[in-house]
Amino acid sequence: MQIDFLVKARIRRILAGLAALVIAAVIWLSCLHFVFARPVSVFYADQGVSPEARQLAARHLQLWTDPALREAELKKMRVSNAEWDFMGRSYLVWSLANMALRDPASKPCYLQTMDQIIDETMRLEKQEGMYFFLMPYAKDRRYVMQPARSLFLDSEIALMLAARRVVEEKPEYRPLLAERVNLMVERFQKSPRMILESYPDECWMFDHCVALDAIRMADYLDGTDHSALIRDWIALARRRLVDPKSGMLISSFTTDGTPLDGPEGSSIWMVTHSLQLLDADFARDQYQRARKELGAITLGFGYAHEWPKSWPGLPDVDSGPIFPVFDISAGSSGMAFIGASAFHDDEFLKPLAATLGFAAFPSRTRGGLKYCASNQVGDAALLYAATLGPLWQKVRTGAKTR
Amino acid sequence: MKKFLKKLAIFQRAEFLSAKDLLQRAAVISALFLAVHLAGFREFTGVLNGTIGSLTLGWKLSAFLAVIYIVFYLAFVALVPILILAAGILTVGRRLLRKSSHEPRIDSAPSH
Repeated sequence: MQIDFLVKARIRRILAGLAALVIAAVIWLSCLHFVFARPVSVFYADQGVSPEARQLAARHLQLWTDPALREAELKKMRVSNAEWDFMGRSYLVWSLANMALRDPASKPCYLQTMDQIIDETMRLEKQEGMYFFLMPYAKDRRYVMQPARSLFLDSEIALMLAARRVVEEKPEYRPLLAERVNLMVERFQKSPRMILESYPDECWMFDHCVALDAIRMADYLDGTDHSALIRDWIALARRRLVDPKSGMLISSFTTDGTPLDGPEGSSIWMVTHSLQLLDADFARDQYQRARKELGAITLGFGYAHEWPKSWPGLPDVDSGPIFPVFDISAGSSGMAFIGASAFHDDEFLKPLAATLGFAAFPSRTRGGLKYCASNQVGDAALLYAATLGPLWQKVRTGAKTR
Repeated sequence: MKKFLKKLAIFQRAEFLSAKDLLQRAAVISALFLAVHLAGFREFTGVLNGTIGSLTLGWKLSAFLAVIYIVFYLAFVALVPILILAAGILTVGRRLLRKSSHEPRIDSAPSH
């Protein structure tokens, strides 16, 4: 009798405990995002520099004033991907250009770092060759168009030079930009389909859009006119480089336009932003499609998939690890900040920022901020997302460089 | 010292899924998370984007430390509040039940 009572009491206690756990889980998991939610203005400000951008920038400026710290950070990235070393530089220069336009008082400091990065990057390219910033498989085959050049390097270096000159003219960079732009334009004209390689017979939408942005900015700076080239390339992309099911631009293709990879989150978010400078309507259309196909919000946390349902793919160095069940791509989710900021999509940006606080492991030291789950290039891309706007705005409106 | 700790209610073994048991589990998880956090394991979570946590320790050990940190972090952020909330729900529920029916306390039932 006593044992029966004890067993019943034990079962009742366990059931009560389980019920309490289920109720508590429902309450807490639905409220968890509030712990990490912040006003969008903490990440992205329409005017001035947001607190998060300032802290991220402080950390990057530390890297460029402390060679030992920088070397350790870059070495870690280069073990996985030499491209990240290069892209980290590009995103930081583009971010600092936007910050200089947002915060003129800090312009001298930002310009100094931009020049340091540009000069060192071009020195390394000249000294070590273009393969220094490419993944090893770039050497496996011969480039179709000779002499071999990578649009990946040319486009981003050109955009770095142009961004610097938009903030403030630097006469030494004028011939360097003109040379880089003329090279790209000549090769666009030489290519039967206006498609240029980043790797041997491997061409990337991301690089083409950045290249056209640089050409557009060179037009603004130097009074040249490549609007016909830009118009023709956009027409080609609409006609030949779109996934028919999702309507999104594919991410990579061969020199004859044969698709290699379909639309990818790690690429499309930046592409939509790049297109804003080239064709604003097409840019918005692409963003809306990417948002619908790749963007997701669960329990108040925002994230992005790497591939649309119409064109699944396998995890790679760009997607980063894919987290199952929710199909979360670290690469795509990070780059989604650029799209959401560029199109002022606060409904997506706020939950994305909540995820950043929750799952990217922020670490604040000496006034600087870094995300431990990210790396230098990831943080630089986030900084770019937190600061973008003024550079494009200045070129689009045709405001003169002081 | 051992005797003193044993006297403290929080260190006495509680019945499975009782409010005290849940609070003890929350405390243990919090202590373990605090330990890995203070040990600097957070720095290794760069493996989430495919970056090595430490060149000295190598991929495998860096990934292992990252997994440990992530597991305890998720447990601390998601599970600990659930355990505390559940303990609160059990305590409130038990009090309400006692008031309304004068039933014997579940937690105070003899264990032998």
